[in-house]
Amino acid sequence: MTSNVTEYEGVPDDESYLTGEDVSMPEEEEEEEEEEDDDDDDDHIYINEETESGREKVLVSHAPQERIVPPLNFCPVERYLYRSGQPSPVNFPFLLNLNLKTIIWLSNEEPQDTLLEFCDSYRINLQFAAINPDAGEDDNPWDGLTEHSIINVLQTIVTQENYPLLVCCGMGRHRTGTVIGCLRRIMGWNLASVSEEYRRFTGSRGGRILVELLIEAFDTKLVKIDKNKAPSWLLTALE
Amino acid sequence: MKYIPPLNFSPVVSTDVSLYRSGYPMSLNYSFIKDQLHLKTIIYIGDKETPLEEYQSFLDRERIKYHHIFMDSSRDEGIQERMNQVLNLVLDVRNYPILVHSNKGKHRVGVVVGIIRKLLQGWTTAGIYQEYGLFSGGMKDGVDLEFITMFETNLKIPRDIIPGFARRCLYLNELEAEEGSGDESGSESILTAKQSL
Repeated sequence: MTSNVTEYEGVPDDESYLTGEDVSMPEEEEEEEEEEDDDDDDDHIYINEETESGREKVLVSHAPQERIVPPLNFCPVERYLYRSGQPSPVNFPFLLNLNLKTIIWLSNEEPQDTLLEFCDSYRINLQFAAINPDAGEDDNPWDGLTEHSIINVLQTIVTQENYPLLVCCGMGRHRTGTVIGCLRRIMGWNLASVSEEYRRFTGSRGGRILVELLIEAFDTKLVKIDKNKAPSWLLTALE
Repeated sequence: MKYIPPLNFSPVVSTDVSLYRSGYPMSLNYSFIKDQLHLKTIIYIGDKETPLEEYQSFLDRERIKYHHIFMDSSRDEGIQERMNQVLNLVLDVRNYPILVHSNKGKHRVGVVVGIIRKLLQGWTTAGIYQEYGLFSGGMKDGVDLEFITMFETNLKIPRDIIPGFARRCLYLNELEAEEGSGDESGSESILTAKQSL
């Protein structure tokens, strides 16, 4: 019964994600903490099987009135690692739910001001990853990522202290797909599976052969992984 | 050593528990499933009555609990009861990590994931449709989407076995119910809960 828990060593205690104070506005902290205590109690009951009979039940029937809106092309990638297109204000309640510590923005341009303000008020690290930092005036939004920027972003992704983490670009298709594709190669996925995942998010116009070549040619040894600081799922993949 | 995940493989929930989706696992996927996912439970939603022989021996070898929930499509008679069975499995934290798979990981798994997104995570319909489309290769089956949109159920689950990812949504529901019954403290706390989102 405890195997669920032990597997996730190195990830901050999950309860803090569910009801953590970070989500709430400062003035609401007290209420949130009370709720957190309740949850803790529940967990103790769960360990003690003798109390199973007559325990409290929750009705599961319909969706709540307040629905949350995932950003375009949102998808989980690994534990506490997510991908998406550029989040807009309608997505902020959804993002708060993820308790993000870091957002990696893959573009030469700044994201919308609303996203900057959002990250600022909830103390989320917004990491700009210029897709082609050396191009200066000549850069184009449709240019592929340079090896340098891919490595840069992957260094952030292979470090547990940056989690929970969202990787995003304008549409969540090609630039995000490049980074996640290179991560999958580090994890030892075969190339066809990496491409399948990349193409899933590319929409009706399909994948770009250039992106797939970039992923295929990427030298995974260039990313330095510190085993003491890496997420546990990555270590499992590297074994 | 190369890992080959099953067709249409993806995490669905990757927080306190791991829930994965995919198409039918073939023998070339077994090492990935064994070494990377450490599954406790597999839920097969589909029409093949008995698992392939090699699949069965893989499940035995890895001591993975296998549940076959018969489903041809969301038009089936008795689909409601089948979905309830799936939800009961997904709502028990002791079953994780879980893989839900169908044959291609498109439509049937798409329906199950859509229902989880709606009932347990409170996603909007548009977000659910978009995700369904990602995995079905852009094909949107109107009946599936309508089924997800209209689906409601009536399950009573012990609070202490509900996985963390579903708690926030179910908690909101309880607050809404309290609010509906005119309980003032309830409506107060729903306001703060909404703000904190």
